[in-house]
Parts: sequence; C-alpha cells; structure tokens
Amino acid sequence: MSEKLYQIISKVFNVDSNKINDETSPENLDEWDSFNFYVLLDEIENEFEIKFDLDETLEIKNVGDIKKIFVKHGVRSE
Amino acid sequence: MKNEENLAYFLNEAKTIKPRELGKKIRIAFLASSTINGFEETMRVKCFQKGIDCITYVADYNQYNQEILNQDSELYKFKPDITFLILDTRHILGEHFFSLYSTSSLNDRKEIVYTKHKEIQNICRKFDDNFDSKLVVTSLQIPNYSPYGIFEGENYGLKDIIYKINYELFNEFQQSVSQKVFIYDFNEFVSKFGENNIFNYKQFFSGDIKISTEYIPKFVNELMGYVYAILGITKKCIVLDLDNTLWGGVIGEEGFDNIKLGDNPVGRSFVEFQKRLFALNKRGIILAINSKNNLDDALEVIQNHPNMILKEENFACVKINWDDKVVNLQKIAKELNIGLDSMVFFDDDPINQEYVKESLPGVLVVDLPKDSSQYSQIITEMKEFDILKITEEDTKRTDMYLGQKKRKEFENKVADFNEFLKQMNIEVNVQKANSFSIPRISQLTLKTNQFNLTTRRYQEEEVSKFSSSDDKIVECVQVSDKFGDNGITGTYIVEKKNNEEWIIDTFLLSCRIMGRGVEEIMMNQIIEKAKSSGIKKVKGEFIPTAKNKPAENFYEKLGFKKENEFWVFNTDDTLKKPEYIKVIENE
Repeated sequence: MSEKLYQIISKVFNVDSNKINDETSPENLDEWDSFNFYVLLDEIENEFEIKFDLDETLEIKNVGDIKKIFVKHGVRSE
Repeated sequence: MKNEENLAYFLNEAKTIKPRELGKKIRIAFLASSTINGFEETMRVKCFQKGIDCITYVADYNQYNQEILNQDSELYKFKPDITFLILDTRHILGEHFFSLYSTSSLNDRKEIVYTKHKEIQNICRKFDDNFDSKLVVTSLQIPNYSPYGIFEGENYGLKDIIYKINYELFNEFQQSVSQKVFIYDFNEFVSKFGENNIFNYKQFFSGDIKISTEYIPKFVNELMGYVYAILGITKKCIVLDLDNTLWGGVIGEEGFDNIKLGDNPVGRSFVEFQKRLFALNKRGIILAINSKNNLDDALEVIQNHPNMILKEENFACVKINWDDKVVNLQKIAKELNIGLDSMVFFDDDPINQEYVKESLPGVLVVDLPKDSSQYSQIITEMKEFDILKITEEDTKRTDMYLGQKKRKEFENKVADFNEFLKQMNIEVNVQKANSFSIPRISQLTLKTNQFNLTTRRYQEEEVSKFSSSDDKIVECVQVSDKFGDNGITGTYIVEKKNNEEWIIDTFLLSCRIMGRGVEEIMMNQIIEKAKSSGIKKVKGEFIPTAKNKPAENFYEKLGFKKENEFWVFNTDDTLKKPEYIKVIENE
C-alpha cells in the first residue's frame, strides 16, 4: 500500500519515489505546493476509494500523516 | 485523441515545455473571480501538443475589474490575443445566492438582474473599447438547488434571475455584431459533467477552487476551441471510411440487406453518427469518403439504403477503391485543394489509424473504438471544428465543391484551356468591405495559405479598422460561373502610402479559384484605382512561407519589376486583363 501511495505522490509531484518517506513534507520537498496538494488528495481519494474529511486534510503535514488517516479509514498502508 | 490526462500530468509537463518558434503563437490571459491555478499550465501544454507556442498571463485572484478598467494594468502590458474571464454565480450574486427570497421583493429581484447584468456588460464593453484582444466570458452557472425546492421556477426566482442575466449577455455579445466579446456557455460544461463532479466543496472551502482539480483539464479543453478558431487552424474536412464507420458490417461480405443501419441497436448508432456528420456538413465541414470497397456495392448503399442519412451530394470527394488509404487521402487533399492538416480521418480499423498517423502526421486521426455506440459522443466532443463566426460561405461549402467537381469534368472535356475559361462565364463582383463581408475577409486572411502573397493574418476587428481608415483600401471579390457561386473568395488590402505610391499589404485568393484569371482582375482593380488617383507606383512584397509557392511568380508574370524587396508596377504601363471575365463593381 505504501508503494501505491508513493507512486501517486511521485506521479503528482514528479519526483523519484525513492525520495519519498514519512517525513516528506512541503518543508523539505520543493515540488509540493499548496495547490498540487489538492491534486494529490484528489488522486489518493480516487485511487484508494476513500474520502478524507476536511479537517483531516488540514492536519496533513507530511506523508506520515496521510498514512495515519489511512489507518483511521481502514486502508492498510504497510 | 486519447482520454484526457489528469491535472498532475499537465502541471508537471508545463514545467518542461519551452517555446519552439513553431510559427503558430498565441498570448492568452486568464482573469477570474475564483482560484484558477492549473488553468494556464494545462492550456500551455495543450497548445504545445498542437504545435502552438502559447504565452500566458494570469491576473491576481479576483482582480479582473482593475485589470480591465485600469489602463496601466499588467493585462494591458501583456497585450493578449485572447482573454478568458471566468466568472461564477456565487461571486456575482453574493449573499443573494443563498437567500434571494428572504431579503428581496419582486422588484428588488428585478433590480438584481439589471445591476448584475450591467456590471458584467460594462466590463465587456470597456474591454471591447480598449483591447485588441478577444474576450471570452463564461456565462453564470444555473445551480441545481434552490431553497424553494420544487416551488422554484417562479418569476425572478433564483434560477430565473440567472437565466435572465445570461440571456442578456448572450443577446448583446454572442448574437450581435460584437467581433471581440464572446460568451462561453458554462452550463454546457456543467450539463456535460455534472455540478456534483465539477464543484468539490472541500476544495472550495480550502482554496476557493470552483472548478475541481479533476475537471480543470476538461474545462480547458472546452476553451481550446477558441484558440483553434482564433488561429484559424480549425479542421475543414472529415474523411470517412464506410464499413463499420458509416454503417455496421462489411457491405462486400454481408450485402445490402444485412449491413446494420437503423432499426436495431447497432444500426441506430450509425444513423445517429451520420446525423451528427450531416449537421456538421450543413454548417460548412466538408465530408469525403476513403474506403476499400467495390464502388458499385458502396454506391448502392449510399444511393438507395432507406436509412442512409448522408447522400452522394453531401460528399465533396469520394474515393471508393482498392488503393492505399494514404494515397487516397493525399488525392482527396489535392482534389479539394486543402491541406492535409485541415483533415480529420475516421476509420474503425486500428491498423489504418496507425498507418495514417505514421504516414501523414498532419492529419488528425480519431482513435475510433470498436464500439460504434461511442462514435456520436466522440464527434460531439471534438473542439477542432469550432469557428468564431459562421459565414455564408461556410454553409454553402459543399455545394461549392460539387460545383468544383463539375468544373473539373468540364475542363477535362474541353480540350483547350483558354476555350474552357471562355465557356465558364466567370463573373467577378468587386466589393468594398462591409459589415457583411468583414468576417469572411478575416476568415480568408486566417485560412488562405497557398495563393497568399504576404500571409498576414487579420482578426475581424483589424479588418474592420482598416476598412474604415482613409489610408487603406479593403476590397473583396465574389466569384461565380456557370456552375455556381463560389462566394467571397479573394481579397486585397492596399495601403495608400503617399501621393506617389501605394503598397499592397495583403493579396490572396482561395486556391479553389486560382489560375482562372481572377487574380489578374483583382490586380487590375488595384492598378486602375491607383492610376485614377494619380499614383505612379504600386508596390508589393512576396513573403515566402512553406505553403505559398503557387503565388511565387505572380508579380513577375504580371510585369512587376523587382526593386529591393519590393515588386513595383509603374501605372503608366498597362496590365494585361483577361477579357473573358465579366467584372461588376459594387461600391
């Protein structure tokens, strides 16, 4: 699951998936900006067939946070 | 034509593309009442893929009033060719969007229609006055909800006031003589994809995004039609295969009675597809056939099948034979005298699709799927046929090509070409540009490639400006002969430089007409006018392009002398004039 998530992130931000880990965030990844973050969320929702709550999306500070939400929604991320 | 890529693709591609100096260039500005990130990136990539260098300007969030009204704005400096103003109902109506009824009486609601429509109208008019750019404004979306529920629909209710605002805008700009302001029917986009899809509350609350990221590429695709139209690169001709393209099954194998056309589910899909093609044909898209078949088998269906919508007279060119499809396409282009890059090819066979794509990259090959029920949707979603204004010539085009066919046959019959020309009874009607002909003159400058001495492209408003200027002559010719009316097919723009000399700015003739003496008649008109105005010299340039070789030797042939980059004619000399052409001058 992590792999699929990384693939999506890698595709949306156009970065090598090796560069992505739990700590990846707008702070350390230049390609991650406030607008393509919406695109990312949309792609994840479609691919994993889940819907994030608005407040959940606001809590996402890094890739690890996305995985935490996955756990809440019952998506196995490892 | 592939499925639409998603926005992430466009955002990333946009970072890598660079102008290629491809010849086709466009400057596009975006103004909006909401967040429109991603629009310009998608537009640049889509243009790039069509061989267009696109430079964009995006105004700051919700700054459209200032950008248009303030003449020092960045938008003015940018000098766009086209400006998209993307408005939305929430923004325009403000609180009325939520509680129209509780806060207002009937008169108040009437007032809302008036003030809101004036607000948008004023912006458009101001733009019209001050910019050379086209302006495309989105109409307001009719929401799918009203707090009045099923009672909604009363006079000046929420939906009604939006209808009325839109109606006023359409009425003034879309259906009028405005040459620069166009209203894009946003509700067409919404009805195609659905409000619940294109409007995503989460994205709206997070970033005032009113067209969701998933639907931005689809929306930009709608806008591409304007880009094609302004650049004059719309497609003119649809070339069709027959078996499994216009009807189901193979006529050579299954026979007249067993092909699928009407009366059953698959047959209906082909009838519907033909009806779509028929409608496009009526508004000016040329149809042609390119099919491997026995001619007689296929003609039998076209002429006699009761459910066949397209008849022989709808096809300007028919190639039903066992020849190579690419060769047939080249012949069709030659016979119709149009570029391969203005053709669209429909063929159900993926091998033919690939073969044509590989061999003739200019031709737009539609990836027609196996399932014929999709054909109608595919053709109705194509933006490549969009033009800003339909002229009379567009609607008569197929008749003109059929006349052309008869001319060819006649030419082959009459052994001597001069004799042929004499017997053609050619009449040339010379007219000053007027409001009726200006759209057509602009269209000719945008589309004519072969017999075009300078290939200067002019939008309607530029032609209009020239025609009202005392320093310029803008005239056009309507050509008819014994086989019918060709419509307005030639034009010239002459600049009255000074009391000594005039300069030919533009001189072009549709390639359907060239070679019959009409070009000589046109030049005679210019020389005669110059002479009677006491002008000594008429000068013109030939600006070579990849396509205008047919016009290369025109000046020399007529006796112009080369002086530096100009060809010069001394008005004391006489210009040969084809005597077999009757000239009618209309002031």
